[in-house]
Amino acid sequence: MAYVNTNEFKSGMKIEIDGNPYLIVNNEFVKPGKGQAFNRVRLKHLLTARVIERTFKSGEKVDLADVLETQMRMLYREPDGVVFMDDNSFEQLKITSDHLGETDQWLKEDLVYEILIYNGEPVAVVPPTFLELKITETDPGVRGDTASGRVLKPAITETGAKVLIPIFVDQGEIVKVDTRTGEYVSRVQ
Amino acid sequence: MNTSPVSNRIAILKDRAQMLAKTRAFFSARNVTEVDCPIVSASASVDAHIDLIPVEDVTSRRYLHSSPEYGMKRLLSEGIGDIYQLSHVFRLGEKGRRHNPEFMMSEWYRIGFSFEEMIQETLEYIEMFVGEQPHEYLSYREALQKFVGIDYVPMTVQDLVAFCREREVLLYDEIVSEGKDALLNVILAKFVEPNLGKDRLTVLMHYPATQCALAKVIRKGDEDVAERFEVYYRGVELANGYHELTDAEDQRHRFEEANEQRVLLGKKKLPPDENFLSALEVGLPDCCGVAVGFDRLMMLKHGVEDIDTVLPFDWDRA
Repeated sequence: MAYVNTNEFKSGMKIEIDGNPYLIVNNEFVKPGKGQAFNRVRLKHLLTARVIERTFKSGEKVDLADVLETQMRMLYREPDGVVFMDDNSFEQLKITSDHLGETDQWLKEDLVYEILIYNGEPVAVVPPTFLELKITETDPGVRGDTASGRVLKPAITETGAKVLIPIFVDQGEIVKVDTRTGEYVSRVQ
Repeated sequence: MNTSPVSNRIAILKDRAQMLAKTRAFFSARNVTEVDCPIVSASASVDAHIDLIPVEDVTSRRYLHSSPEYGMKRLLSEGIGDIYQLSHVFRLGEKGRRHNPEFMMSEWYRIGFSFEEMIQETLEYIEMFVGEQPHEYLSYREALQKFVGIDYVPMTVQDLVAFCREREVLLYDEIVSEGKDALLNVILAKFVEPNLGKDRLTVLMHYPATQCALAKVIRKGDEDVAERFEVYYRGVELANGYHELTDAEDQRHRFEEANEQRVLLGKKKLPPDENFLSALEVGLPDCCGVAVGFDRLMMLKHGVEDIDTVLPFDWDRA
């Protein structure tokens, strides 16, 4: 397996620790006083997106993660997962529900997603940062709610995501949502 | 990478020249003599955690110095009096936002100065770059109590590992065999250093005796501490000073310890400098010394985050 020395660490590099793939978010060479040198590294788990900070011995060798990112179009849902297709090769693959996790709520047919292939297996789907989705379920806005400071109401999008939208947005309208936070951004005319 | 516009870059380099001239004026006004001890020597500083860049001579291996310390101390024992050296020094593999493997060091020695007088003069020098600041003095022990809430003295390696785990600091496995100082370094860098010198100059002093390097060790309350200090401004470590160890026997012993530690860390032993040891045997006068990172002072003076910005050419472009 290919490896890197901590001296070569750069943001964006993908490394493997204890059998898990991580993305280097930030790397800092630290050497206090006459003390030992180490690297303080912020790492994002490529599957769970959880960010951790880890200390590496400076000069340590670390395995590179065999990770490939590819763009694929969502085709359809099956009971145990979702099928995607590569627009160039027409190759299809199924990503199982356990690898979809919370991303499931952002999957819409015919949209292109980033698929993460780790050790030859599709393991995660990254949605575009912003998605335009139809509101399929929400209560009509109640006038007077603003007085109590409540200007948002719960809604469900066509993909099944639960988002909070302003009370003036009605069912059937299309809204722009930030998939990183699940927050409403704007109304789409 | 240097991202400052060309005009700004040239301005910083011109200011660099000015600050080198001011450094010389600072010492000249205090009757401290400039010396230029060799950069390349047959043996060089033996430190557990400082690696040297070797140079191939015709028949032998020599080293780029990591500090002009040994040469300067040889001159001190010859009776030269107060001296300073402004020179580039070299440390293998030290590359980061605040590190370049080749950097400018401003180092000086004062005969008969007390530890406190040396700290005072160091602060005056630093203020030439960062302007007058309030001063704060913290012992290593107080700093850990203040910012981390631990008293490291009675703590064991296991206690410190447990503390790191509690604070979600993920460590590398070998750190346990590297010992207590390695763990303290990680904790200091993560929780203490960023808080030091926020709107003042903070002097961190009285390091654990196990981190004495070439400083004298004294008894302070229930622990042995080194008469060693560092100065921080805005979380950046700027200076490392000592009440200098003058005992040759003690010095030889510290070389051996540093080399043993190097072996434990999987590094090669370094040859002890016999010329330096004989100079100590002849007699080093009671003195204090300090080394200040000139480039870091320039970073703070110009408010830049990356050392590359204040250098003519950084390591990758040299």
